[in-house]
Formats: sequence, C-alpha cells, structure tokens
Amino acid sequence: MCVGIMPNRDERKRKLLMNVLHEAQEKHGYISEHMLKQISMDYDIPIARLYGVVKFYTMFHTEPQGRYVIEFCGSPSCVLNDGTKLEKFLEAELGVNVGGTTKDGMFSLYKTSCIGCCDEAPAMLVNGEPHTKLTVERARLLLKKLCGAHEAKKARKR
Amino acid sequence: MQILRQTKLEALEKARSLGSDGVLALLEKRGLEGRGGAAFSTAKKWRGSRDAPADERFIVCNADEGEPGTFKDKFIIRHNAETMIEGILIAAYTVGAKRCFIYLRGEYDYLRPRLEGQIADVLARAKMEGVTIEIVRGAGAYICGEATALLQSIQGFRGTSMYKPPNPTTCGLWGKPTVINNVETLTCAAQAVLFEDWNNSLRLFSLSGNIKNAGVYEFPLGVRMSTVIDVARPARKLKAMSFGCFGGIMPVDENMQITPEAVCRENCHHGAYSVIFIDEGNNVVDVSYSIAKFYTYESCGKCTPCREGTIRMLNLLKKIRSGKGVKKDLQTLRELAVHIQETALCGLGQTCGNHVLTSMEHFPKDYEYYLKKNEAGESKEKK
Amino acid sequence: MKIKLNGKEIEADGGKSLLDTCRENGINVPTLCYHASLFPEARCRVCLVEMDGKLVTSCSTKPREGASIITNNEHVLKARRLNMELMVPQPSCKKEDDLEVCGIYEEVGMRTARFASIKEYKPDLGAAVIRDNNKCINCGRCVRVCADIQGVYAIDFASRAHNEHVTPYSEKHLADVACIRCGQCILNCPVGAISERSHIEEVVAALDDNEKHVVAQVAPSIRAALGELFGMPAGTLVTGKTVAALRRCGFDKVFDVDLGADITIMEEASELLRRVEKNGVLPMITTCCPGWILMMEFFYHGLIENMSTCKSPHEMLGMLIKTYYAKKAGIDPKKIVVVSIMPCTAKKFESTRPEMESGVDYVLTTRELARLVKMRKVDFATLPDEEFDPALGISTGAGVIFGATGGVMEAALRTAHFLATGKELEKLEVAEIRGMKGIKEGKITLNGKEIRFACAHGGANARKLMERKDDYHFIEVMACPGGCIGGGGQPIYRDPDTLRKRTEALYSADRSSKLRRSHQNPVVKQIYKEMLGAPLSEKAEELLHTHYVKRDRF
Repeated sequence: MCVGIMPNRDERKRKLLMNVLHEAQEKHGYISEHMLKQISMDYDIPIARLYGVVKFYTMFHTEPQGRYVIEFCGSPSCVLNDGTKLEKFLEAELGVNVGGTTKDGMFSLYKTSCIGCCDEAPAMLVNGEPHTKLTVERARLLLKKLCGAHEAKKARKR
Repeated sequence: MQILRQTKLEALEKARSLGSDGVLALLEKRGLEGRGGAAFSTAKKWRGSRDAPADERFIVCNADEGEPGTFKDKFIIRHNAETMIEGILIAAYTVGAKRCFIYLRGEYDYLRPRLEGQIADVLARAKMEGVTIEIVRGAGAYICGEATALLQSIQGFRGTSMYKPPNPTTCGLWGKPTVINNVETLTCAAQAVLFEDWNNSLRLFSLSGNIKNAGVYEFPLGVRMSTVIDVARPARKLKAMSFGCFGGIMPVDENMQITPEAVCRENCHHGAYSVIFIDEGNNVVDVSYSIAKFYTYESCGKCTPCREGTIRMLNLLKKIRSGKGVKKDLQTLRELAVHIQETALCGLGQTCGNHVLTSMEHFPKDYEYYLKKNEAGESKEKK
Repeated sequence: MKIKLNGKEIEADGGKSLLDTCRENGINVPTLCYHASLFPEARCRVCLVEMDGKLVTSCSTKPREGASIITNNEHVLKARRLNMELMVPQPSCKKEDDLEVCGIYEEVGMRTARFASIKEYKPDLGAAVIRDNNKCINCGRCVRVCADIQGVYAIDFASRAHNEHVTPYSEKHLADVACIRCGQCILNCPVGAISERSHIEEVVAALDDNEKHVVAQVAPSIRAALGELFGMPAGTLVTGKTVAALRRCGFDKVFDVDLGADITIMEEASELLRRVEKNGVLPMITTCCPGWILMMEFFYHGLIENMSTCKSPHEMLGMLIKTYYAKKAGIDPKKIVVVSIMPCTAKKFESTRPEMESGVDYVLTTRELARLVKMRKVDFATLPDEEFDPALGISTGAGVIFGATGGVMEAALRTAHFLATGKELEKLEVAEIRGMKGIKEGKITLNGKEIRFACAHGGANARKLMERKDDYHFIEVMACPGGCIGGGGQPIYRDPDTLRKRTEALYSADRSSKLRRSHQNPVVKQIYKEMLGAPLSEKAEELLHTHYVKRDRF
C-alpha cells in the first residue's frame, strides 16, 4: 500500500509511533531535538521522516509550551455562537497572538479546527480538557482560576 | 434512544453461534451501512477483508470524528462504549482478525482513560483468544479521519491520503486486509446482530449552530425538517443549513423530509447527519469563509489542486468579504471549486468546494451584498 | 482487455497503468512527479486523462474493461493547465536554465499565471548543494530519490497543507545533517529549487588573473555527456572539443583526470594485494566516490577500517600538479590554481575536507562548465578536436572507464592481475561487472587464490550490498545510479537510457585506446620513477593517501 522506506524492518512488532510521540511530548510538553534523535535511534526511523511526522500534526510541538496549552475552536458552529468574541478576548486578555506563548510561560494559545463540542459552543481545550459554553465572563473566570491554581501550587511547594 | 441499547456480550455470543457466514448474512439482511458518511454496505466490506487472501487481517475503529458539527461518536463513546467494543470484537471474529485498533482523535484524549478501562474489562470477559484492541492516539489532523490517511498515521507516516485502488479492505495496514469502520457503525453492528427489532432507518443527528437545543438526536430517515427544528429551538428564523463543512449549504425548508435523495436534490450530501443551522442574522458568505479556513489548514498538502487551491479559495473569499471583490473573483472561485473537486486525490479535496458551489447556487444575494459593497466603495472613490 | 483510446479500440493490459498504455500507443501524456524507478505517488495531478468522463491520474490508474480513455479534449487540457498554474511560482524559463518544468509548460500549453506565490522561506546555502524552497512546487521527487534510491533520507516533507515544505530535520541546513552531497536531488528537481553551489565566479576571477597559472583537469564522465548541453545526442564522445573549449576559456593547461585514475589504480591495486597477502582488513572498499565516503562516515562507522586510503583520482592528480608538474614546469605551486571539471557535486565538498590535504582549488560541474563556455562565447559545436597537454595528459582505457559503475573494479583487476602474477589479464573486459544491474559480482583467481569482488551503484543498492560485504574481498561503490556518468553534476536527463548511452561512450573510448592498462601508462611510470618511487611508498602515502572520520548522523 505504501512504498516501504526501510523494507527490512518489521515495524508491526514495535510500538506505534503516534503513541510514542505522545508519550515523549508528555514529559516536557514538547518534543525536543534530543528526543527526536532518541526516538530515531530506538525505533530505527530516519530522523528527517520523524520530523516530518511530528510537524504534520498540530498537537505535536517542537518548542517549549506554556504551562497551559489553550486550543480554542475556530470552526463554523463555534463561530456562529460568538466564537470570534472569545478569540478576541483571549488574545487581549493573554496579550498574545494565536500561535504564541505568554511571556511568563503560563499560556500558549492556538486556534484549532472542530474539537467536537459543537453542542456546547463556544468551546476550547485546556491541556486536553474541554471547557465549554464559554461566554467572555466564563472564560475570564477560567483563566483566573488557572492562574490561581498555579499560584497555590507554587505556595504549597515553598 | 436505540443507539444506547447495550448488548452486554450477548451479541458476540450470538455471532459465534451464527458463524462468520451467518453474521454476514444477518448484517446483509439488516441492511447495515457505514455511518461515517459514505454509507457503504458493512457486510460487503467485512466479506471483502475476510475473503482476500492474506495471513493477517486488522480491524480499525475510526474514532477520528473531525467533521465540524459532528459529535455523535463522542456521545457513543461516553454512553455506550462497551457495545462499540463488542462490535469491534464481532468484526474481528467475522473477518478473522486478531489485532484491532481504535484511532481516537487527539481532541478526545480525555475520553481515553475510561475507554481503556472499558476495553480491558470487555476483553477479559469476552474470551477471544489472541485478540487485542489498541488505542492509537491522533494528534490534531482532520484528514486522518479519511481511511487511507488514517492507515498512514497508524503505520507511523505523515497522515497523507493515498490513491485507491489498492483499497484498504484488501490491502490496508502493512499491506494486509483491513476493515475500517466508524464508531456508530460498529455499535450498530453489535445491536443489529442481537436485536430482532433493530431499526435500520434511525440515524444519529448532531445538531448545532444558531439553536438553543444543540445536541445528539435520533431521528428516522424521512423525518420532517419542521420536527427537527422544533426540537432544536432556534432563537431566530433559520436561513440555511450546512452538513458539516463537506456536505454543502442549502436553504432550510420546513416541509422537506430528510432523506439522502432530498438532500441530493439540493446538490448537498448528508454525510453523517451533522447539521449546522445558520439563522437570518448571518451572511452565508461569512460561513463559507470559516469553512474555507477549515479546509485551508486541514488539507494534507500532498496533491496540487487541494494544497494550492484551498488557500486561493480562502483568499478570494477574504477579498470578497472585505468589500474588494469583483464578479471575476466569483468566477475564479467557482472555477477553483469545480477543479479541485474533479482532480483532487481524496475525499477532502473532492468535497472542499461543495460549500462554495452550493452557497453560490442557493444564496447568490449574499455574495451580491459583498460585491455591491465594492461598487459602493468604488463609486465613493470616483466621486 | 478491450478499451477505447481517443476513440480507437485497442487491446490493453489490465495490469499496466494508463500512462504506460498511452505511451505504448504513441500518445504523450505530460508527467511531473512521476519517476520511472519509483511507485507513482499521484501527487502533482498533471498526468490527467479522462476515463469514462472522469478525470484520473494516468500514472496510478489502471484501465477498466471497456473504458473510454480520452487524453486530449478541452476538459483534460484545461485541468492539466490549471494544476500547472497552481504550482507557483513559475520560473522564468530561460533556455540556459534547462528546467524540466519549462518543457511541461509547453506540453500543456500554459496560458495564464493568475496566482501569486505565498512562500517565504530562507534559502539553504552550503558548500556543495544549495536549496531554495521558495521555488519548490512540492513534487516530492527529491524526497523519494534521496530516500528510496539513495537510501540516505536526508530530507522529507514537513508541516501540512500550503505550509508543506521539504527540509532536513528540525529545519537544519543540508550541510549540517547526514547528506552525502550526491546531488541526485538536483538531477530530479524540475524547477531548479535545488542546485549546486556555483564556483564559476571564483574560477573566472582566477582565469582573468594574469598572475595565476590556471590548470583544468577533466574527469572521464565529462567527455561522455558535455555534448548534451550543446544539443548533441546522449552518448556523443566529445573529448577533443572539451579540451579545446577549456583552452578557449582561458585555462593555461588542460590535463586528464584519467591519468589520476591510472595512478589511483597503481596505488589501490597494490593496497588490495598487500591486504590479501598480509591478512589485512577485508573486504577493501573503494573510496574514489566522495558521496560514498560520506555515507560510510555517517552510517557505517564500523567500515572505516575497510576503506581504501587512496584519494580519488582528481585529488591525486591535483597533488601531483602542484608538486611533480610544478617542478617540471618551473612554476611556483602557490601560483597554480587547479580546477577539477567533475560530474559530481560531492567533490565540491571533498576538496574542502580538512582530513584531505587537497591540491584542488575549485570544482566545476559539467553543467557549470557548459555555462562558462557559453559565458565566454565559445561555439562548442564547431571546435576542433584538441589533445590534453602531454605533461599530465596521457591516459589509458582503464582510466576512462572510471566513470561507469564497475569501471573502477575492472581497471583495478587489469592491474592487480599483472602486479600479482606478472602476466597480463587476457580477458580485459570483465563483463559481469558491466551494466545497470544494481549489484554486480564476480571472481578472479590470482596466484591460485580466489578473489571475490562486487560493485553497487545508488545508495540503496550499496546498503543492500553492505549486508553481505563479508562475502567479498574487494567492493566498489558508486553513490550515483549508473556511476559517475549519472552524477549530480551531469546534464539533467529524462530518458533513463541516457545512462547506458553515456556508459557506452566510455567503453568505446576504452576499446579504441592504444593502452588499456594503468600500469602501461608511460607518464605514470615516469612519475613513479622520478618522484614517488613505488606504489604505497612513503612519498606516495604522503601525497596520495588520506584518512576518514566518524560523523554523527544527526
């Protein structure tokens, strides 16, 4: 079906790459160059191909991310439910453009395609957890809560 | 709701007593068709994979629900995952597969912990020797819901579409016969095997957009639009409806009976019955613009017409919305939409122009509104 | 099965693609991403034809029974044109650029160019191969050739949709990753988005500098291919014209790298025999191909001790030009500029290797030479045939066949036989290592001992051969398919038969040579007598041998 790149390797016996990449990313929130080299060696995958796979998927990152990765939906159902208002609010409140990370390293902001929460639009994922029915007020409260949780965690560590 | 009926491993037991041929005959009799949008005969697909000469076969459950406006598979995974898992096992039994996969989109990863527990539980009780179900985690690519791209992703490649033939049914994962079925299809398969009174005319509708009661509903084919609207409760008068992003935009006709034929008459496609309602407060061109944006970033990038055409359509719509569009831009937009439809490699490219063509057909005034803005701007300049 | 092709009913093979069927019936269908040696990818969507009214890509579609295929109606032509139009930017198509895509524009009849480019990439500049993604049309040939034919996999597509672009990992420069600089990507790029780093400017500066004594040395492969860039058919031997052209361009002396090849044979055959006799490391692997050297240094650290320590022919000759020739001619070596005319892009990197003490100052590819000749307004086709300068211009047939895959092996055997047994090898043409088969092998008996040898061309074939390397005593590897005549610096070819024609030109040059064995070359004998002493002597080791390093493949 596909042209075998390393035809001698029996890839089926090995762990599936998508899961390997997710697990690698879970360690530090992104897939570093060092990890690419490690995976390339461990799974015998040419590193150019590995990089090409990582960059294909929007949820894989090759740069450090904020503590909270926000992915808000930009698809029609959310847009029809004031999604653009939410987008503008997030950009203004966080002080970053879509695709950027706040200077304090707390938030990374992304606009994604439909996340499947169309019946509770507008919606977004924060570190993979869904937050729905987001009026500007609810979004504001959510951001505050997240910052607060982080402060509390820092306080507990002291 | 029929979709929530649990089969509690009795369907698998019945399948075993019927034997592989028996299961296929029963599913044929029930008339079960794929619920991912393509409506292909499930029995025919399973038979194709079972009978293709090979030493190994695979079952893949496509849980990469990514079509905007669609959330029915999420509903099933949340509320009836065990029946879906049983459907996978019935497919594995019937086709002769051992290794099964659930390709779960990255945006549903929060469903994974519970799902993993349910899989372990069902497998422990099902007693299917050597059969495994692995969850493959997607990472944010709509195109990986397309069968060939999904298989590329599982095999550790970029999720680009591949031309057919070869068809995944006979030549899929690692060159072996592979059944790829939607979440709803597999759930229905288990139910169709077990329940004598299983109703094949019921469909799961995902309703969203400018309505108050967005959600998953079960309606029979042929349901009247007015019934659906009553349930959905729009705040304002509805103007248009879009079947996901791919199916096209058509006017809302309260008297219409929703069947594949009726939808086809409007040059649209029902797909997985995801309906995005658009009320009179919106210009359809704006909706088209957000759909065009979707395709521009979800194209896999492999074939020329889709990779280059989607962004050019987006730029034309941007120009038109900004009030700088001229009639020629509409012509070019139409030309691109038809061209990508005719020459793209996969279903994404083949359907990414539907919203343009149908919105132009059914809502020409919405486009005229923006063109007039340009003429007004021009006449202001001339003065 | 019976199908209708443009209205005519024909018998078609259901297992062949529509593209092959059309071509067999004399119908031309334009292609772009299609590569004769690889599975079709159906990426570019230019090879469209109509099957029963529906547009399909002919490269990936097989006929249906009774189908009606149309290749030339307005529907098909318009669709092909629009796909070409969507591949932006369209290069300016000057004749001297020799871009494949320009021929395709003509084939499809391009009329409009309505779309602007949206690409904004930084060019990737290096010592040998340079890339400019702003010119790329995403045909993917470079990626697949590097991966499947060369077995190197230095580049792949990254990102998605209109952001899809070709890159080494982590957006690095090619010069910083495991790229072997073979230039096969250049040969397969239809728009010139990948090309060689040009050294024409530097060479012209030297030529115009009265203080400098500029010497050209010409590789065997040039004479078999340069004519193609001046309208001559593939396989035309243009040795004499090449020498004349170089002189007209201003080179003070024109020498023959084939002589360097003869010296390489003296050294390498001696090295092989020493290893065989003294139980040295075997198999011995040739090292005249710098692309292959890089491949071993990146991917086969364990084979470094197997590599011959001999430099490549032009590097050997380059050293001799600045020592032996400089002394003989009474010229200060610091005033000598050595320019190698090579079919190879990796040689541009080779002469900059710190491990290699190099006498070569610049490397120009065959394509660059053609550009230089045109720049200096020399009318190549009407030039008379001239001879190389005799000081370092006499060579043998063994030297000239270096350009073909198997040629180095054959030349080495001709001399090894003599050095080992004192008798000449009678069957000069070793048929089993000639030809385009990916891996070739044979054996020979020297003093009662069986010596097994093998050669491979193309990186993927080399990798396969390395898996059974211990079956052999002597292995030749050429990184480029066909050997140097198919090198990354050669004229871009569309017809795969071109390689065979160029090879035949070299073999015919061998057949018509007075001397066909390296050890019979009188200049070679003289150089050893006057300067080097004997092969593998201390002086020879100093000037003509080198060493290698392990490179991190990341």
